[in-house]
Amino acid sequence: MTDNKHEADVAFIKALAELLRDNDLTELQVKRDYGDEDSLNVRVSRMGPAVAAAPVQVAAPAAPVAAAATPEAPAAAEDPASHPGAVTSPMVGTVYMQAEPGAPSFITVGATVSEGDTLLIVEAMKTMNQISAPKAGIVKRILVEDGAAVEFGTPLVIIE
Amino acid sequence: MSIWPETYGKRVLNEVDSTLNEAARIAPSLTGPEWILAHRQTAARGRRGRAWANPSGNLAATLVMRPFGTTENAALRSFIAALALFDACVAVTGRADGLALKWPNDVLLNGGKLAGILLESAGQGQGVSYLAIGIGVNLAEAPSAAQVEAGAVRPVSLLSETGALVAPEDFLTELAAAYARYETQFQSYGFEPIRQAWLARAARLGEVITARTSTSETVGTFETVDGQGNLVLLTAKGRVSIPAADIYF
Repeated sequence: MTDNKHEADVAFIKALAELLRDNDLTELQVKRDYGDEDSLNVRVSRMGPAVAAAPVQVAAPAAPVAAAATPEAPAAAEDPASHPGAVTSPMVGTVYMQAEPGAPSFITVGATVSEGDTLLIVEAMKTMNQISAPKAGIVKRILVEDGAAVEFGTPLVIIE
Repeated sequence: MSIWPETYGKRVLNEVDSTLNEAARIAPSLTGPEWILAHRQTAARGRRGRAWANPSGNLAATLVMRPFGTTENAALRSFIAALALFDACVAVTGRADGLALKWPNDVLLNGGKLAGILLESAGQGQGVSYLAIGIGVNLAEAPSAAQVEAGAVRPVSLLSETGALVAPEDFLTELAAAYARYETQFQSYGFEPIRQAWLARAARLGEVITARTSTSETVGTFETVDGQGNLVLLTAKGRVSIPAADIYF
């Protein structure tokens, strides 16, 4: 009798685990009431795959997290905004990679830029704000696409 | 007739490629805000490379300045420019009927497009090194329907709609005076009084309008303009604030 109940519980929990996996859930909690003082309360959860660092679209200025990075922890989810060569958006708006439609892009990955060169435009309120290179260097990464909506602080380009 | 605001410079050119280009050229040597008026532009331009028809007798001017404050703050001058232009039109025609503002800075007259305002700024980090406010007004002549994009608002001129013929330099004096008043107000009290004054002159407030970008279209009831200057639309999916788009009625 007790064994049967135990087996049934195990089967139930296994079924829940399957449900969790098949539906790509991270956590599931079920309470079954069999009678007074007789219930089963199960919580099945799994840690999300550690490598699948979701792209974090946080516009908040990256606070310097000193000492948080231990040498053992690989910097898998590196935040481009905290990169020393990151150029961030000074305002909410729409990105344009060219001076006008059909014109060549201001920059390409690998291009050399001088301080003050226009990298791209962010438009808000019909104001075309040219974002200039804060220093000379090479365009390592372009983090936004033409027409993209950006927030204050969104990393746009990395120059090294 | 207003008098020229004394803290603003003025240079009048017979011909230039574009007053916006001239603004970028003189920006590094500016000592204060300055208006540039051109009687003829050989390469007038609108938003995103659109051509801007610029017949003689119309206003082609740019105000260039090196404002303090953030980039976002600089962009709010879109609304100041539109308000100043609205008031200048009232000053020269003696009436406000038929004039209305379309977000963020279009001035409409009898439902037609009377003017265009385009702002350009450049900067590094969170401030701007200069801001140029280019303003074109169809004082004497509107471009023909064939010269504008399909679906665009019908171009009109001040002369054709009101019968008032105003010389560009006279109009600029009214515009500069009105601009200076709103700029002072903005610097003293922030965006709120500007926002209220703009909303009081807004077209289609409370009506359904369409906001289009190169990648999306949003249809909703034009609820307000928020404290950051965003257009706020109430859509089927909720409230949406839009910092950049073209508006269609």
